[in-house]
Amino acid sequence: MIRHPLAWCSWATAALAAAFIDRNPFLQALLLLVIINVFIPYGAGRQSRIWKVGLALAVVPIIFSVALSRFGTHVLITLPGIPIIGGRWTVDAAVFGASTGAALLLTVAVFTVLQTTVRSADLVAILPRPFYRAGTTVALALAFAPKTVASLQSIREARQLRGQRAGWRSAPQLLLPLLLTTLEGALQYGESLDARGFGSRRRSRYRPVPWRLADLLIVAGSGAAVAAILLMPPQPYNPYLDLVPDVPTVPSLLALLLLAMPALIAGLSRMDHADHHA
Amino acid sequence: MPIITLEGLGYRYPEAEGPTLVDVSAAIEPGQVILLRGPSGSGKSTLLRCLNGLVPHSTGGEFRGRVIVCGLDTRAHAPRELGAHIGFVFQHPDAQFVLEDVEAELAFGMENLGLPLPLMRKRVEEVIDQVGINHLRRRRIDTLSGGERQRVAIAAALAVHPQALVLDEPTSQLDPQAAEDVLQVVMRLVAELGMTTVIAEHRVERIAPLVDRIWTLDAGVLKDQPPRTALAEGGARPPVVDLALRAGWSPIPLGLRDARVYTQRLPTPPPYPPPQAGEGNFHDAGWGQVICRVENLEYRYDGVPAVRGLSLSLGRGQVTALMGRNGSGKTTLLKLIAGLLRPQRGTVQANARAAYVPQDADTLLFASTVEEELRGQPPEVMAPFHAWLRRYPRDLSSGERQQLAIAVVAAQADLLLLDEPTRGLDPQVKQALSAFLRMRAAAGAAIAIATHDVEWAARTADRVLLMAEGEIYADGLPAAVLSDSLVFATQISKLVGGGWLLPDEVPV
Repeated sequence: MIRHPLAWCSWATAALAAAFIDRNPFLQALLLLVIINVFIPYGAGRQSRIWKVGLALAVVPIIFSVALSRFGTHVLITLPGIPIIGGRWTVDAAVFGASTGAALLLTVAVFTVLQTTVRSADLVAILPRPFYRAGTTVALALAFAPKTVASLQSIREARQLRGQRAGWRSAPQLLLPLLLTTLEGALQYGESLDARGFGSRRRSRYRPVPWRLADLLIVAGSGAAVAAILLMPPQPYNPYLDLVPDVPTVPSLLALLLLAMPALIAGLSRMDHADHHA
Repeated sequence: MPIITLEGLGYRYPEAEGPTLVDVSAAIEPGQVILLRGPSGSGKSTLLRCLNGLVPHSTGGEFRGRVIVCGLDTRAHAPRELGAHIGFVFQHPDAQFVLEDVEAELAFGMENLGLPLPLMRKRVEEVIDQVGINHLRRRRIDTLSGGERQRVAIAAALAVHPQALVLDEPTSQLDPQAAEDVLQVVMRLVAELGMTTVIAEHRVERIAPLVDRIWTLDAGVLKDQPPRTALAEGGARPPVVDLALRAGWSPIPLGLRDARVYTQRLPTPPPYPPPQAGEGNFHDAGWGQVICRVENLEYRYDGVPAVRGLSLSLGRGQVTALMGRNGSGKTTLLKLIAGLLRPQRGTVQANARAAYVPQDADTLLFASTVEEELRGQPPEVMAPFHAWLRRYPRDLSSGERQQLAIAVVAAQADLLLLDEPTRGLDPQVKQALSAFLRMRAAAGAAIAIATHDVEWAARTADRVLLMAEGEIYADGLPAAVLSDSLVFATQISKLVGGGWLLPDEVPV
């Protein structure tokens, strides 16, 4: 099931807006559920390991916030006079860190959906002709990211084999080899592009992704969601003022519902399909 | 009229000391199949890159003479124009793809030519059938294995309907089964389409029966000869040719089928000793002190067993070859012995430091000079590298890099574990590696090698283990295990049967 890349881009923009404008924990939990529900039908059974990165990103702000912030009234423990981290550790600060972390986790989730659903080839294809070369270059750079992670992995293994430490402290020494490996790959890429006639004047499209009613619905839903969030902004959640979050407002809930549009469409089209077979 | 003409072609890389190609003249007629061979570093890749204009357009350097491709002079026409005439398949399976999924990749070259959509659809369907990758068409490139990627690369090159296909060692980074699949595709294109093909390939024994001419490059000088003359002269050649030359057979057979007619002239081969059953009890047969003992070893990846209740001893002075299909547990076993994986059940006892050299030895080299890589090694390890101490490790040829990686990781180790060390090596380097390992064994090291290379294993190992499903199912002398096998037999053993494995063992 392929949706138009423009539809996905508008959905991702709206989802990111929702994740950052209000940090109400109820809404954050709901939004995560919505994103997971969108990922499942479009991810086509692919497993994503990136959620580990998301979780790690989510934990870091909690630690920083609780160890460094001295605000808040609900004291957890009081550390003796150690520089920087000494003093009152509060629940308020921990909750504030957690809501920042959750926003980061949501960002990673949105990009994971985008990465699985949109092929860079299609994204390049919708760019206006003058941007074609620049667009392809960006697409190539994006394709390089997972390869860079893979070569980092093999470089770390190699260092282990040579009896060198593989911990985080060795990270700077990994950088140069990583850069070299990536550069070598890039040169090979350039040769391959050249050999396959990239950059000629003529250019046609193989199987362009068609624009369907479903795509229009997703774009409309995303637009309406952004409008609801921007025009009727809720009271932002701030744990330092009040630890207990407000009950989400109706416009916020409506916005999340609209963001679930791709999942709804996927469900409906599956039912259609089942009818056909019956 | 020839498709490609090389006239007095000479080439020197920018800032290189000497030329890479010297006065190369040759022509390729339509439908010809050309095998390009030569030691690593002899200029094979450079010559192939001249055929589609990558040399000199993307490399710079000093270019002499001229190359005419389908009537176009490569000095005046860029690679992207020549791409419509020459389909190019690169050595590394992972770095030549541009887009994420197979179908988009197949269409990429045609999109660049501006072909209309209906024609593209038709051609995509056709190359998918021609190369036999229908089951892969919806897959993403990053989920494909190396062999699958090379087949997709061939299909993508074929889709633009080039006048010639140029393949630069397409199988050198692949395991043998995948390499075989890729060569099958090439051979089918040659047989069914009469595709004009230029291929650099180390697996000469597979491709030799098909070729019209053999081009041999040595230090930039090209010899263009008919196959029999070229193979008789030397260089990489199939074992049957070696035997034929010793026995004086004429005309020289290029493959097993041609060689059959001569076999009645040979004496009856000796019977082979029966292989022992598994359990690794072979060390009792008079090998030196046991250096590593493995008992009841078990390992699973996510619940899938990779090594199952395996026991084995490795003795000093012994070179053991581990063979078996992909996924039979060879690499897992080596990693367990090396201590890179922890056994989930059973024990590994080793009385020496284990050194493990992975398949992709390139990843072990990062320093800016060879000297820096070897820092801290004793003089006897440094000695063979004396001439290249100042060079950049990644500029060395694949054989030289392999040698350096082994020196860096394993030169001093008494327990040496190598994973597919001969992948992509030319015959001379393979022979040198074999000699080095025999020398280490003679000095008291125990060596275990996971390999698919039957001919090399027959020459190098004094014990062969066959693995399947994480278990050892045969264990014994190479003559016992490798003869009387459909899969793991050497070419000579297929030809004459019995206990002879190598051409020089046959008395003629």
